[in-house]
Amino acid sequence: MSITETALAVIARVSKVDIAEIRPDMDLVADLGFDSAKALELLVELEEAIGIEISDEQAAGLNSVGDILAVAETMQPPTQPPRI
Amino acid sequence: MTTDIAGLPTNLREGLRRAALDVPHRGIAIFDGRGRSCDRRSYGELYRLACDSAARFAGLGIGRDEPVLVALPTSWEWMEAWFGLLLRGAWPVASSGAGAMAAAEAQFEKVDKVMAAIGARHVVASDAFQAQAAAQGFGFAREGVVTCERLHAAAPAAGDGALGHSDGGDVAFLQLTSGSTGVPRAVMITHQGAIHNPVASDEAIGAPFGEPMHRLTESMVSWLPLYHDMGLIGCLMLPLLCGLDTWLLRPETFLARPRLWLEHLGSHGGSFAPAPNFGYQLCVERISADKREGLDLSLWRAALTGAEMVRPETTGAFSAAFEPHGFRPEAFRPCYGLAEGTLAVTFDVEGSGVRTRPAPRGTDAGFAMTEVVSTGVPIRDTRVRIAAPDGGGLPEGEIGEVCIKGPGVFRGYYGAPEATAAVLRDGWFATGDLGFLEGGELYLTGRTKDLLIVHGHNIMPDEIERIADSVTGGGGLMRSAAFSVARGAAGEQAVVVVEIADHDPGRLAEIGHEIRVRIGRAMGLPVADLLFVRRGRIPRTTSGKMQRGELRQRYLDGTLERLHVHDPAGRAPAQEPSR
Repeated sequence: MSITETALAVIARVSKVDIAEIRPDMDLVADLGFDSAKALELLVELEEAIGIEISDEQAAGLNSVGDILAVAETMQPPTQPPRI
Repeated sequence: MTTDIAGLPTNLREGLRRAALDVPHRGIAIFDGRGRSCDRRSYGELYRLACDSAARFAGLGIGRDEPVLVALPTSWEWMEAWFGLLLRGAWPVASSGAGAMAAAEAQFEKVDKVMAAIGARHVVASDAFQAQAAAQGFGFAREGVVTCERLHAAAPAAGDGALGHSDGGDVAFLQLTSGSTGVPRAVMITHQGAIHNPVASDEAIGAPFGEPMHRLTESMVSWLPLYHDMGLIGCLMLPLLCGLDTWLLRPETFLARPRLWLEHLGSHGGSFAPAPNFGYQLCVERISADKREGLDLSLWRAALTGAEMVRPETTGAFSAAFEPHGFRPEAFRPCYGLAEGTLAVTFDVEGSGVRTRPAPRGTDAGFAMTEVVSTGVPIRDTRVRIAAPDGGGLPEGEIGEVCIKGPGVFRGYYGAPEATAAVLRDGWFATGDLGFLEGGELYLTGRTKDLLIVHGHNIMPDEIERIADSVTGGGGLMRSAAFSVARGAAGEQAVVVVEIADHDPGRLAEIGHEIRVRIGRAMGLPVADLLFVRRGRIPRTTSGKMQRGELRQRYLDGTLERLHVHDPAGRAPAQEPSR
């Protein structure tokens, strides 16, 4: 699975929305019903699934599915396994 | 103060000093954002740190009775700032971040509004906060931000004069709570309230065991935010004044990894930990059976639950999930409190777990409860009466407004005498909550006030409506209205009703989406249901005041006619709350 596919699968799992219905322009709160707890759950799940670490500054700018995919794609997994 | 508790400290500085002297080996451990490693310091170290920063705040020209915001995460920087201001005799005002989903800009706007409303000149915050707020052109960022660096660089004022002396009746700090003008209200909490309330709570929590909780246990583990009354009073003042070890996680760490709370409870001998209902619900939903392995909750004596409606389905599910890992269902201790009461009003003192009665006629249908939970009896020196709409007292069993009186009752809303006078008379605070007494125990059944409580946080509907109005251009003839309905164990969820002249289904979908996006950005709050209605469908009194309660009733009855919305973009609709 590519990083994008993995990220989409995680978004689908956390939001409980069918992966086929998820599109990049969707807003996490408005369209997928996220609240802060769900948003943090998503970040942790993404970090663990892809092996990246998302900083607080990056997290603050994540509003849409597309934002998440962009961060996931541009970040290279570290050579060390992530701290869990 | 009217209490017979012997030997209470006269003010919070004295309380902190006593902790440093009496339990020198105890203190506070604060976990980093990942929730793995912690920085533990004794109460003696906290006292010295606070004295030092009090002198530096004085050196920066911060005076007595001056409100100063503290917008920092749960950290030692927070402790240094908040306690430093307290010992200076200034009034620390803990302020929230805007929530993980909300934009930083929303937080700056909130800080800006609060500072203006209470006349604060300064906010203690991080370098990043200052840089970003300055980049966005917020006025307070020019001179008003005291970063930790600036605090450390300040020359301490010489001598003992930097430490303000406070009497018990003096205001100690301000507690922010949601306000109907869209700006939070600042609740004035006195030293005596901030001391009496946690000490009386400690006694009530220990009641089933025959002595105050602190004699039976050594530590508390909490993730509650320090800008929330339950976090500040229940999880910081209480352990400090009663000499418990405290382990603090950041709220966002818990939300990201709820298991860490239970894990640290087990490994640090935590026998005392509170949370709102949603915290327990989150543990049930997010910690799957395989991830429960290895948890040891056998020492947990008091699992306090309050700050929002206690839901038997949640406590039942939590007990079922964690009993195999040592959790005892009788550890659940429902309680009732609110910021205007400092915190605690009633506690379950029986210690036999969650006790319920069938919900009587008159219980708010929107809370979707078939049973109501006993929140116990008033704490020491505190009285509860149930008032009829005309103010007269009601006998046991009858539903009315919950009114409270006691040492914890707040002094008033800072800078808002009319708002204070509307709810505080002869020392009695009319809470806006509805309930009844039975056998001296309080049961909550609803609210008279228009207020949403989502995840333990109070939200005034006006805050949401302003955002909706900013999209539709409403607010005049056409209004929007927000209220909450409960969705089973998930608790209260926001519903927004918008009056509109435009009836084009595609256009309405666009507007609805924009409203959801803006509310999400500003407040981190998802709207469970958003519906459009024709102009004039939101009921109003003859004087034009919106009747949200009546609107909510029509929504629940299904008699509110929705305009048809069709989204050509095919965006997934957010789930509607089930009723």
